[in-house]
Amino acid sequence: MKPSINKLVTQAIHPRGSVRMILITLLTIISVKMMAQNNSLPYSQMGIGDLEDGYYNRTSGMANTGIAYRSNRFLIQNNPASFSALTDQYFTMELGIRGEYMSYAGTQVNVASTESGDITFRKLVMGLKLSKHWGTSAGLVPFSTQNYQFSVPYYLVGTTVQIANSYYQGHGSVNKAYWANSYEFFHHLSLGVEAGYIFGQLNQNNIIQASANGATLVSSTNDLNLNNLYFTYGMQFYGNVGKKWRYTLGATYSMKASLLAASTKLVLNNDSAILQNIQNNESYLNLPNAYGAGLAITYKDKYTFLADFRYQDWNGVATTNTLEYPGQGYSIVSAERGSVGFEVSHKKTFYNTRVELNYLQAGLYYGNTYLQINGQQIRDMGITAGIGANSLKSPLAYDIIFQYGIKGTTANNLIRQNYADLTFVLNFGQIWYTKGKKFD
Amino acid sequence: MTIIHNHLRKELLFLFLSITALFFLVGCQKQPSLTFGSTYVPDNGQTNIIVVDSSTINMSTVYTDSTATDATGYLMVGSYKDAFLGQMSSTGYIQLQPPVTLPTLNYLVDTYDSIGMVMIFRTNNPFYGDTTIPQTYQVQEIDTLFQLAPFQPGWYSNHSLPLGPVIGQGSVFITPTRPTTTENIDTIRIPMDYSLGQQLYNMVYNKSDTMTTLTTFQQYFPGLAISEAPGSQGNIYGFRDSSIMRIYYQENSTGGVSTTKYIDFTLNNKSFQFNSLTANWAGSPISNLAKPTSLSQPPPLTSSAQTGHASYVQTIGGLNVKLTFPYLNSIAQRPDYIGLLRAELTVIPLANSFSTTYTLPPQVGVYSTDLHNLIGAPVLAVGSGTPQTGNLSLNYFLPLQTAYNYDVTNFVAFQIVNTAPGADSTGLILSIPPPTGDATFKRLVIADQTYPANERIILSVYYISLYPHQ
Repeated sequence: MKPSINKLVTQAIHPRGSVRMILITLLTIISVKMMAQNNSLPYSQMGIGDLEDGYYNRTSGMANTGIAYRSNRFLIQNNPASFSALTDQYFTMELGIRGEYMSYAGTQVNVASTESGDITFRKLVMGLKLSKHWGTSAGLVPFSTQNYQFSVPYYLVGTTVQIANSYYQGHGSVNKAYWANSYEFFHHLSLGVEAGYIFGQLNQNNIIQASANGATLVSSTNDLNLNNLYFTYGMQFYGNVGKKWRYTLGATYSMKASLLAASTKLVLNNDSAILQNIQNNESYLNLPNAYGAGLAITYKDKYTFLADFRYQDWNGVATTNTLEYPGQGYSIVSAERGSVGFEVSHKKTFYNTRVELNYLQAGLYYGNTYLQINGQQIRDMGITAGIGANSLKSPLAYDIIFQYGIKGTTANNLIRQNYADLTFVLNFGQIWYTKGKKFD
Repeated sequence: MTIIHNHLRKELLFLFLSITALFFLVGCQKQPSLTFGSTYVPDNGQTNIIVVDSSTINMSTVYTDSTATDATGYLMVGSYKDAFLGQMSSTGYIQLQPPVTLPTLNYLVDTYDSIGMVMIFRTNNPFYGDTTIPQTYQVQEIDTLFQLAPFQPGWYSNHSLPLGPVIGQGSVFITPTRPTTTENIDTIRIPMDYSLGQQLYNMVYNKSDTMTTLTTFQQYFPGLAISEAPGSQGNIYGFRDSSIMRIYYQENSTGGVSTTKYIDFTLNNKSFQFNSLTANWAGSPISNLAKPTSLSQPPPLTSSAQTGHASYVQTIGGLNVKLTFPYLNSIAQRPDYIGLLRAELTVIPLANSFSTTYTLPPQVGVYSTDLHNLIGAPVLAVGSGTPQTGNLSLNYFLPLQTAYNYDVTNFVAFQIVNTAPGADSTGLILSIPPPTGDATFKRLVIADQTYPANERIILSVYYISLYPHQ
């Protein structure tokens, strides 16, 4: 008698020494490099940086369309209500790595150097089906990223007399550590809540350098440590229509919260002597109410069509943000994003169990970001394609996603970023320790 | 089972190597060159450099009634009249010695001829005034012992000695920048009294102890003073102190050929050569200049408002400029002030005050001073151990672009937070540094702050600004 797939998997993880060693190595790297980004993100100097709208999961090949997506193996952070769909007593862990090539266009781009690229870890999450109806997930995902640098002439205040150059540089990231739980009711409804802890540091430097020899005249660094809780609530309602059609309706709501900041501003003179060391604890920016709605329709358990719409009500917190947020010449406005995705899943039956072998995905997205600069709201749009495979001989699953997008515009002295991403998602899954109890 | 284990290991190894390889590739990436963003940087949380160039500068002329003029190496002789500083005259005093080895004179062969003063002017010697005017110089014998009084440290510009009658006079025309010989020397000769020469010649002939003993000679002949003849003026020349008094005589050979020979009386003691100056400020802007009334009094100040809204630097004439900055503290009290970046002092000479005749001193030093108005330590530029001399940029065609520039960061850094008693009197002094300052009549006229901004002295304070967090 052949062993079942689950048994195969359970047995396959016995070589725990190797697995543990590799996972520890990866985690170490992740902890250091996860959110560091090397690509120049010119728009990230505003607000709290470029807000992350990707999940680096099963839905990424469908333009991250997945508010109404449910999976029994993969972690769908798009909606905290989705975790109840995990296979019973199943433990799963995912990490995502993204390589990104970016080119820049616009009048403020030096034609001699218009490209950059980087490779970064983007997430580490894990999930567990605690009981028949209760799924949980925890992990670390990016929330926003800041990475910019530029050097411009420095003019004496109020004059056109250039006395130096001013070098601006900023980097850092805001991350989200979350713990989400979802519970299924009546086999058709799942409710979830995600407690997100937003935290991170943004480091902003400004060095005024003598034009003649580049010597530092004065430098200032501003280190912002941000943190607060940010709750997201989710719902999924699902059912079948006939024998071939299945539908899911999903919705999410994130409740606005004040982002607390502890800032340390350090100003050094040309002898590197400290002139100022200012420390403040205050509210930096209010995170908005955010809403999402999605639809998923599956045909013959093979073809799935998804559509999402997300809306972040930054206008609703604009009053409080106006005085607190640094910078000028731009504003923070409500953002929206619409996306559609399509998936073809190939499955096979083993001993009365349907097992997915691989899948193909495609998606489109279009949205406006939360920045409005020179009267122009920054637009972001693109296409995605993904392919995934589940190993039958190991507890691993792989997902490779290609994404091409355009962000911004060259109008109004702005910059257009063309980006091409290749994301690799690795999923590890196994049956949770059952103390000898039989699992379903 | 072993097959499965091996398969898993291969998968994981492949993944790990792939990820590691990706990270190595990251290091190959470059960054774009963007100039995007300066418009959007924070306007209230950013450090800035602010310049304050409107600081009040109180400017005064400090008059010192005497300056050391001995051992300068130059016999400053002449007189000129300056529209800003009035009449300036200088008399050069010199103490002579007889030849160390006296020639053996034969009355049958040698015949006294004449005596005169031989004065040497080299290309780079100082001069000041109108050089197109011929000069008439006169020579007088010092009519007293040429010696220092008790507790007298040296010879100063206000010293003078009793003089006898004029014993020599001559008119000359000097071209200071076009020497007449290939050695860059212009030598002038002033004929002196014939009988004096005869008398000295006889002493040499007799090898008198007056000639062989220096002290006896100095009692007999204390020295000479060379000055401008009355009514002659135009300029002051600085002759080398190696000038000599020369007795000419003829040596007649047996063949009837006559050869001119001479006996030189040279400088005896460099420290006993000094220049006595006389200034007549009547009718000039500095006619109201305050003078010290007692020996113990600090050099008095005269505000620029009382001297034609300008102040004057001519160190040899006792004139230096003191600058104080009464409201410098207020910069440090600005709410956005967090530190000093640098401070520059720009001294713009009064536009119509200088020319190729009345030239500017090429070097003007900046020194610290206090309520005693004395010249203190040089104010050094940041990172330099060399005293500053102004780095004069000279432009006769565009006079307002002529300026002396100083880095006074060190001074301002101290003074901007100086709240000690007497801080208001702490300031800077502009003075021509020695040794040039003791031997040049070049002068600097500086307009005060009643003049337009581009014509007056300016202190530019660059400070680092950070507005308090709102």
